[in-house]
Amino acid sequence: MNLIDLRSKLDNKEIGAVELTQDYLKKIKERDAVINSYITVCEEEAIKMAEKAQAAIDAGEAKPLTGIPVSVKDNICTEGIRTTCASRMLEDFVPIYDATAVARLKAENFVMLGKTNMDEFAMGGSSQTSYFGGPKNPYNVSCVTGGSSGGAAASVAAGLCAAALGSDTGGSVRQPSAFCGVTGLKPTYGTVSRWGLIAFASSLDQIGVVANSAADTGYVLNSICGYDENDATTSKKPQGGYTSMTGGDISKLRIGVPKEFFEGTDEEVKNAVMKAAEFYRALGCEIIECSLPSLKYAVAAYYLISSAEAASNLSRFDGIKYGYRSGLGEDYNELIKNSRREGFGKEVKHRIMLGNYALCSGYYDAYYNNARRIRTQIRNEYASIFEKCDVILTPTAPTTAYEIGCQENDPVKMYTADICTVTVNIAGLPAISTTCGYDSKGMPIGMSLTGKAFDEKTIIAVCDRFERDFDRRECVL
Amino acid sequence: MFDEKLTAHMAELSKLSFTPEELTSMTKDMTDIIALMDTVCDFDPEVKPYALSAVDYEDLRADEHSGSYPAERILENAKNVKNDSFVVPKVV
Repeated sequence: MNLIDLRSKLDNKEIGAVELTQDYLKKIKERDAVINSYITVCEEEAIKMAEKAQAAIDAGEAKPLTGIPVSVKDNICTEGIRTTCASRMLEDFVPIYDATAVARLKAENFVMLGKTNMDEFAMGGSSQTSYFGGPKNPYNVSCVTGGSSGGAAASVAAGLCAAALGSDTGGSVRQPSAFCGVTGLKPTYGTVSRWGLIAFASSLDQIGVVANSAADTGYVLNSICGYDENDATTSKKPQGGYTSMTGGDISKLRIGVPKEFFEGTDEEVKNAVMKAAEFYRALGCEIIECSLPSLKYAVAAYYLISSAEAASNLSRFDGIKYGYRSGLGEDYNELIKNSRREGFGKEVKHRIMLGNYALCSGYYDAYYNNARRIRTQIRNEYASIFEKCDVILTPTAPTTAYEIGCQENDPVKMYTADICTVTVNIAGLPAISTTCGYDSKGMPIGMSLTGKAFDEKTIIAVCDRFERDFDRRECVL
Repeated sequence: MFDEKLTAHMAELSKLSFTPEELTSMTKDMTDIIALMDTVCDFDPEVKPYALSAVDYEDLRADEHSGSYPAERILENAKNVKNDSFVVPKVV
């Protein structure tokens, strides 16, 4: 059921907020032992929030998300509810404040069902680096969910929440949404406050939404967007109204299809995305072949920039102020080193090591500065495409969800799989992923629509138009 | 090319420590990762490196003191606390 219908049922008293919450909690109990999409389920808190929401509904004070059950990725701070980043380092960490995105949902009396599983510190594309064990794909539990917001995507796909908050640094909302057959929106950098989002790579991180449809992602984004004095990078541009174009005429739009995104992509993925292009052409849209020549540099540039920022951001985890503290270490430095050695998983250590290497004098210009040059170039190439196109259509990932255990131990293989998503973060643009087909094994295939900065309305409308005609399969659990 | 000496040096800068087995494994992984990162080394040096500029930060708020949290709340997540302070091993 979409969020607008759910809103209507709550407002018309066809269903109560507490009853709805209990229904979701029951499903979580039944299904999540297998899916493992939640790290923490907030049973008591959710019922209390639902009671408060029902009181607001009864008083005629319902807002768009009042009483709507939502899951929150476990790297988004929630006051009084532990926030682990799926790491041993923060296994017992209980924030003393809410992230702005959560505070804004609380102001609407939403219901938080729990905190979802993810790759440790959002570093990965499978969610299998979680200290708490990786989540499983609801379409096939032997397959990965994608990542890093794998728990968020799986929780939506398995019907364990109505919508989910995730975060996207290099594709972490879009790729798991593609793997789990749901819709994932990464807003323009600066749209949603990062206050309370535990930092991975500050110039790339952005909170996004996973939901059952494009319209639903816009519906949630309306409630969490906007300037925040606690995050200097949030935009003061007027925001909201993200679903205002859905249902409108999109036939005059020009859709760019950059050829480089299809090189090295699985045939089934390529065919499904090209079929979607034909769908838009049949509506009257102009399909324009275009090019992003610097895509070949994108993965390396992304990993250098994000790891350099991560090395700095994660230096705060020393076992002193908060987080895991080792019992070993006679002196101050040894205590810190042992706490970090025992508290961080292997992939997080890869990123910290790579980031510090890229920032070292002697390597800085060859690696970090060149990555920043590539960032300029990619932004310029997107600007050039958007001179003649309104929206860009690409695959969300080169493959569909793969078997658990088949590539998570090969960092290079994992990194190169991010090729279709990282440029959007590098350029700070908005993008949305939705299901456009299924492969021969029945796994969902994702396509992405990328828009101009702060033009979420258009990509949501274009995505929504496709979803209206596409026969999405429910996963059977 | 990463060797164990360079890995150990980077570990020191990263405030990480590794067992001998972990050091060997990390050296292999870092060698593979850096080979991928080498892709950027031949990029056009004439392009200006990107940096967030003043344009990205709109009307910064005034740099004024505002409310914070009481010490006992800040210390809630610390493992070892005494007299409103974090306890650490002796430094000197």
